[in-house]
Amino acid sequence: MTEQFAVTIIHRPEMVPEYAEKVTGHGKAEDLGRKALLTESLDIFKTQQRCAHENGLRTTIQMTYASLFNDEAVALAKADHEKYGDEIALTLLGLPCKEFRDKYKTKDFCIWMFSMEDKKAIVRDVFEKFHERFGFYPESTGSYYMDAELINFIKEEYPSVKCAVATCWEEGPKAYHTCNNSWYTLMDGGPWAPWIPSKVNTHAPAANKEEDSGIVAIPHLSRDLLACYDGNGSNFGTHPQNVLRGMIYDTKTWEYPYLYNLIDQYRHLAKYNNGYAYNMMFVGPGWMNKMGRWEAPYELLLKSYEDGCAYYGKLKKEGKLTDMTMSEFADFYRAKKTYTEPECALWRDILYGSEKQLFWYCDPFVRACVNMDQGGAIVDLRPYAAKLEWPVGIGTPHVQDASYPFLIQEKYRAGYFTHYAGEGTIRSAKVCYNGEEVDLCLCRTKAHFSQNGSDRVLTLDPVEIVFADDTRVKLQTVVTFPEGTGDIRIDRKILSISNPEAKVTVQEYMVGCYGTTEYPEDMTSLTLRVEAGESSATIPYEYKCREASAENAASVSCTLPPIKTLVSMEAEGRDKAGFVREGYAFSPMFTLGYTGTLKEKEVFTTWLKLRRAD
Amino acid sequence: MAQAKKGRLNYRCPACFMRDLDIDMFYDEEKDEYYCLRCQFHGDEKKVLELNEQLRWKYGSMRERITEFDD
Repeated sequence: MTEQFAVTIIHRPEMVPEYAEKVTGHGKAEDLGRKALLTESLDIFKTQQRCAHENGLRTTIQMTYASLFNDEAVALAKADHEKYGDEIALTLLGLPCKEFRDKYKTKDFCIWMFSMEDKKAIVRDVFEKFHERFGFYPESTGSYYMDAELINFIKEEYPSVKCAVATCWEEGPKAYHTCNNSWYTLMDGGPWAPWIPSKVNTHAPAANKEEDSGIVAIPHLSRDLLACYDGNGSNFGTHPQNVLRGMIYDTKTWEYPYLYNLIDQYRHLAKYNNGYAYNMMFVGPGWMNKMGRWEAPYELLLKSYEDGCAYYGKLKKEGKLTDMTMSEFADFYRAKKTYTEPECALWRDILYGSEKQLFWYCDPFVRACVNMDQGGAIVDLRPYAAKLEWPVGIGTPHVQDASYPFLIQEKYRAGYFTHYAGEGTIRSAKVCYNGEEVDLCLCRTKAHFSQNGSDRVLTLDPVEIVFADDTRVKLQTVVTFPEGTGDIRIDRKILSISNPEAKVTVQEYMVGCYGTTEYPEDMTSLTLRVEAGESSATIPYEYKCREASAENAASVSCTLPPIKTLVSMEAEGRDKAGFVREGYAFSPMFTLGYTGTLKEKEVFTTWLKLRRAD
Repeated sequence: MAQAKKGRLNYRCPACFMRDLDIDMFYDEEKDEYYCLRCQFHGDEKKVLELNEQLRWKYGSMRERITEFDD
């Protein structure tokens, strides 16, 4: 298979860089028009452009609103477009400048947080100003986040736009906390790699032409799919100064192999995605401030950017990388991918020295994370099948919170481990024998990826479970993602058992809830259901700790009206019985599951299904 | 006593960094030390740099160039 590693490098002349005015301007009264600030900003932009061009890389120049008022910035963009073939595009980042403040009378600067009325006014203003300066409308745009209503409006008014930076992967409550609860980019739950956003919800990919928003979205940075999930995302991306912010470098030698490991692991993802992998680098000028940043002097900030570009340039010279501007990438992506083709990433730890492995799956119906350190448990689950309407910005119920809600999130709502009482969100199984229960979350293992037609299959190495009487069970898990269905199939097979007469019970379960943050939501609109003919049962959620079960149940389910999601489980296997459990105030969760029995060489199969509830 | 100010570089609090918090410290010229507004950490530049070295213990592969990713 021919492998293609597509890379987009984006620069923006941000005349008032984030951090520069606030941090390095400490002790001075705010002045967005300071000449020294403007000069330094342009110098940084020029340096970044030089770094790329010296290494044979073309860039996408995303003009900011502020830069459109600066003749030198406009001239630089035109010159580099002529000389190097860089794309001149337009970002909705970098709004702050004297002209913007005078006109809009606000210090807001994140386009997705404005009212829809202001979004429209700002978009028209910025795009028309761009046209005035360049004589054409841009093909690419972006921000940290672009809500669906914003994208739809831009596409309607400016149909030339075909590509946008539209989210930053897992930049949510963790980033908020890292910034002492002062950085409001709450946008968890999206794709980590390029996708076609649906018209209804940017984070949920379009399943077909009718849902297609008309643009190809790229993430803001290519981020470490393990480190960013666990910690501060802004330390672990293909952004050299992020790596410095994380202190992931040798202070004596100024070397940072992690940056190259990260790029190379992204290249490796071609193996799981029909020969295609993607990377992007998008460093705002504020990160290369002459005053230094994150304990790093300017010389180190500069070196890291030069080194990053040099590595991409080396890969290009070796024929291992194709640099594309954003609009070129959009065309490439449209030709390469189908709507339902998933993005897959079997990701290993490249930073902490553990052998931990995660698998990420994303298609228009589901985003899921499987954790091999927890026996193949699903530790994050986003029901894209609901294509949830989620307007963002002033005047909506979600002024800042743009995250796609989860059903499972092991960091925010606990996973296997909880303190003292209650349960955390997870999709796992317990193997039971002779009164003992062993959760597969405690069976560390590894996985291998394969593709079987339209199924993506994760085959885990067998694990051994040892019971108190020394009965040993060797069990294998296979997780299958049928493309474009919203279903996840899990097979548990007993490969061997030391006592062939032993009767082993398996309890497949999912503990879920809903939300976008660490704090519990009101569960009283949820409904639990066991579907089993005359034995069917329904539990409206009232925190009463009730349970219902039925032998040979056809399905067990939970309807979650606040996120318009129906999550259900079905099973196939010996002695199957379905159950649902309501939670209680100290454990505001619900549980769906099946029990069954297994003998040697037998398989117990379950399907987790995600659908829109209405 | 004059007001605190930013130091030569924007050193973050090492104690807060360990709990995933980026808090720039301020410099007290009279005591020649940096201090954290959020927690109780305080120390001179030497101490800050030493702790910044120590906290890298969590990055077990930080100096390793990894080229093999096969599952």
